[in-house]
Amino acid sequence: MSDLETREVIHPGTAPGEDIAIEVRGDGDFATADMSLSIGPAHPATHGVLRIVLDMDGEKVIDARPVIGYMHRGFEKLAEYRDYRQIMALTNRHDWLSGFNNELGVALSVEQLMEFEVPERAQWIRMLMAEWGRILNHLMFVGSYAIELGAITPMFYAFREREDIQFLMESATGGRLHFTYNQVGGVKIDLPKGFMKRSVDLSTLIRSRMQDYFDLVLGNEIFHARTKGIGALDTATALRYGVTGPTLHATGCPEDSRVTEPYLKYGEIDVHVPVGENGDSYDRFSVLLHRIMASLDIIDQIHDHMPAGPVNSKLPKIVKAPEGHVYTRIENPLGQLGYFLQSDNGRTPWRFKMRTPSFSNVAIIPHLLRGTLVPDAVAVLGSVFFVVGDVDR
Amino acid sequence: MQPVPATKMTTAEVDAHLREHVGADAILEIRDEVGTHTVTIVPEKLVDLVTFLRDDRHLAFNFFDCSFGIDEGDAGFSQVVVLYSTTMQRRILLKTFATGGRDKPVLPSLAGVFEGANWMERETWDMYGIEFDGHPGLAPRILSVENFEGWPLRKDFFLASRAAKPWPGVKEPAETDEDGNVIEKEPRIGDAPGPMALDELMAVQARKANGIDDEATAEVEAAADAGAAADADANDAEAGDQEGDA
Repeated sequence: MSDLETREVIHPGTAPGEDIAIEVRGDGDFATADMSLSIGPAHPATHGVLRIVLDMDGEKVIDARPVIGYMHRGFEKLAEYRDYRQIMALTNRHDWLSGFNNELGVALSVEQLMEFEVPERAQWIRMLMAEWGRILNHLMFVGSYAIELGAITPMFYAFREREDIQFLMESATGGRLHFTYNQVGGVKIDLPKGFMKRSVDLSTLIRSRMQDYFDLVLGNEIFHARTKGIGALDTATALRYGVTGPTLHATGCPEDSRVTEPYLKYGEIDVHVPVGENGDSYDRFSVLLHRIMASLDIIDQIHDHMPAGPVNSKLPKIVKAPEGHVYTRIENPLGQLGYFLQSDNGRTPWRFKMRTPSFSNVAIIPHLLRGTLVPDAVAVLGSVFFVVGDVDR
Repeated sequence: MQPVPATKMTTAEVDAHLREHVGADAILEIRDEVGTHTVTIVPEKLVDLVTFLRDDRHLAFNFFDCSFGIDEGDAGFSQVVVLYSTTMQRRILLKTFATGGRDKPVLPSLAGVFEGANWMERETWDMYGIEFDGHPGLAPRILSVENFEGWPLRKDFFLASRAAKPWPGVKEPAETDEDGNVIEKEPRIGDAPGPMALDELMAVQARKANGIDDEATAEVEAAADAGAAADADANDAEAGDQEGDA
């Protein structure tokens, strides 16, 4: 850089509202500008209120710094002032694309600390709802990733599927987005009459529609050009950062709580975990589509196994977890969701830590974005699946 | 010579292996209950132990799950680090107490051992004020607003909204007697108001706004105030209960 001189410096500063910093170097034909560009927090490509500050040289990204916390609602502090029913209603809201899975984790952590045995039917119902929630979540990212790359239509088809699933879940739980269907000891109320038949029919219907996504999105050559080789991640780095879920599976590591530490009744059925090869954006999206098919297979197995029986247990209205601590983890659609519950035998927990998958998945964004071009930055950002509510809690 | 293949150890073997590496006096407590294996160690040995857990062939803790702080009251602040091994499929929780008491808690940083610790420690600092020695950059605050004052997750940081105004909704599910019938309770101002109570309240406000301030208005208002006072007392008692528990 010795014979390049700085020709022009405009006001420095990268806080929102301040001018961007531009430093133009070089002479002749190939002058590039070092620039610090702030993407967000209100930006359609960042999946919610996430701000990414890109340090760029021309169009190439030198460094990326995600700034999170725009959606911090203090869930962990609030959880210390709420009893377990209220915490379940609260945790619906951090990964709002699959609210059932979050509250399931809370119920499981309290039950694990109490060493409480949940009735069979409740466990199978929980699994069924969790898998439908997984498909809900994945379909959202199928639609949103395509739209970020410029393919607008798949979004509407993905949401058509989501509407059908949400209608099904609403018939049982009363909610389309925030279900509050779990309680400590089971689920709130039994499935309505006709639910199983509707679930079977829906599973067949969605399975028949999925082939379109494989053909038209995954098989599209423009999609290939924009995602193959972009944002490659290796397993060792991913594990050191704590990345989980489809992002980790795309690198080739099949680590999935449903298989390695089965909870509910996952140990009694076949759970297929699709993995990718290269860990690039194409693999992450491909894993997502295959996970939807795998979840449909699990749902079909649950239909065959669903037993009769009670769905909740006789527990006092205010459940007090005994003294001690427990770390429970479940496989959320976005990755591994962990709940650390420390109780002092009170109505409210002493400490309730929510280890959310998106927090770790966003932490790896600087590693992925270094050295990419700006158009690829959007392709990478969309392929690392996260929900901002999950990141910030 | 063939290297000895790594086999999965039992929890007791893991404990012995750790004691061998850091010395038995560095390990303060070991618990293994409800499927959670927790090892409490002294902070000076934390980085050393975590590096050992990562690099040792038999332990192979390659996955950094999370790390977070806990407010332990008079004992100060502690941190729990959760590690997992994808090859051995085992999890371990490492607990350390910060040095420096409640005023200036300090812990060594694990950001050099696992990159995932970087943001986790930033969050712990943001929430508790625990300084991490050797961390590349704790500031700016990761979750709270940049100019936020105070450490939110500490127990002496009270939720302002609950101090100013008690919980407005119905707090408990309806109480039932032995036969399972719901015991009717008089709704008070502060409970989810029944239709008559709300109407009366609004009627009082409307009358006052229109300058009609007669006996009837005063009666209803007195009843409302009495209800509110009783409710505030009950809320104080309940808040006192909660504080006492915590």
